[in-house]
Amino acid sequence: MAGELVFMMGNFRAVFPADRRYAANHTWARTESGGAVRFGLSAYAARLLQEVYFLEWSMDAGATVREKDEIGAIESAKANAALYAPMAGIIARFNDAAMADPSIINKDGYGDGWLFEMSGDASGTMDAPAYVAHLEASWAKAQALLKGQLR
Amino acid sequence: MKKLTVVISESPGKDPRKRELEANILAALVGQPDVAVSVVPHLYDLNEDHAGALFLRSVNGPLLVLAWLYPRGIHWTLDRLGVKGRVGQTQLKRASDEDDKNDGGKDDKPRLGAANAPARTIWSLDFQDGDTAEAHVQEIIRVAAQVKAAVKLSAAEAVPVAISSPPIQNLKSKIGNPPARRWYPVIDYSRCANCMECVDFCLFGVYGVDDAGRILVESADNCRKGCPACSRVCPENAIVFPMHRTPALAGAPGTKPGDLKLDLSQLFGAPSALDLADKERDAELVKDGREAVGPPKRQPCCDLRPKDALDKLMDALDGERL
Ligand code: SF4
Ligand code: SF4
Repeated sequence: MAGELVFMMGNFRAVFPADRRYAANHTWARTESGGAVRFGLSAYAARLLQEVYFLEWSMDAGATVREKDEIGAIESAKANAALYAPMAGIIARFNDAAMADPSIINKDGYGDGWLFEMSGDASGTMDAPAYVAHLEASWAKAQALLKGQLR
Repeated sequence: MKKLTVVISESPGKDPRKRELEANILAALVGQPDVAVSVVPHLYDLNEDHAGALFLRSVNGPLLVLAWLYPRGIHWTLDRLGVKGRVGQTQLKRASDEDDKNDGGKDDKPRLGAANAPARTIWSLDFQDGDTAEAHVQEIIRVAAQVKAAVKLSAAEAVPVAISSPPIQNLKSKIGNPPARRWYPVIDYSRCANCMECVDFCLFGVYGVDDAGRILVESADNCRKGCPACSRVCPENAIVFPMHRTPALAGAPGTKPGDLKLDLSQLFGAPSALDLADKERDAELVKDGREAVGPPKRQPCCDLRPKDALDKLMDALDGERL
């Protein structure tokens, strides 16, 4: 399909809309009409985490962060992960809806399940084909392990 | 009739709630016919010739040790003190723990196993696995009953006649004075594959090799207080720092290879466990007035393709599973 790319994680079809960019830490980035860059988890990250039930931010909106600064934590039935800033800039706001009910990240990760908005320079992100190529390059290794680790 | 020897290892601090739990358990056990109870200072702080360690080594029948450590930390700290035996199954669990039946690796890789472990059993109970004295006392009585039944069954054989019965202790006083606090790694030989990664990694000479070629913690007190770096490089998760605040490093149940909740932090851009280990070690080197050595040749410099976060994650998982 024109509007999206697909990457097969085993039997799981991870879909990546081409209308946005992707960061190496498996978040998507899309510039909103007001100029803020909105971030959310890519289908790849959401699939690895599976059902997210806990989301927490370690800073308030308005904080200035460097790329890779730890900004929060996420937990699912299968996994824990700290979350890191995908780029340098200011965290403009967090998605209250995802805070209130993190399951929205799995249900509508590219839409209402977005995580936060930042202002800053997002030019370090990749377009969808580059991101999928990045996944392809690392998948062979991931596959055997994920089969054992995740059901 | 053979009794179960119960040794209470006191908490290292002065937390009155901990002291109270210890005292209540002790009081309840004193009247029990099938147990002989003694008290030693915090097990982890004992060195080999502390009176408490001598006492523990003098017990060669069934032994149950209650301490403020995870059971795996207790078992391998005892092993290190020369108090050896098979792992006894206990039924107390922290509410958050699920299933920790399997205490070894899942694969076929040969593990070192404890050296010269006799056939007797050692049960390790963590004080933190029960809020009330009753829960612990019940479990101890259950184990004591099991010991009694086993002794009856095999009355004629198995039990050597000349078992030294532990010296009778004055219950008001514990064996030996509280020693200074210590910090060192303890090896879980049921997991260790003798790969020597830890010897190569630690630059403080903590690890050594015995005459049989087995890895051992040779100079425990050379270890840098608070440093857990080598436990992160051990591919088998065999290095336990029983007093570390991170449960996975302190030997918490359910933290055997492949049994952890996946930590996907690397996926989202975190420094990997190996990077963290290098940083921790470097910090200790600098504190010691030496030079940081940075990351080793682990990732060869000729590997030009930059490793991405996911690759690192998979490396970490790879290391844990194999
Ligand atoms: S790194 Fe781990 S498995 Fe290897 S020898 Fe040391 S303790 Fe054993
Ligand atoms: S914790 Fe640090 S100092 Fe201690 S044994 Fe490990 S690497 Fe060596």
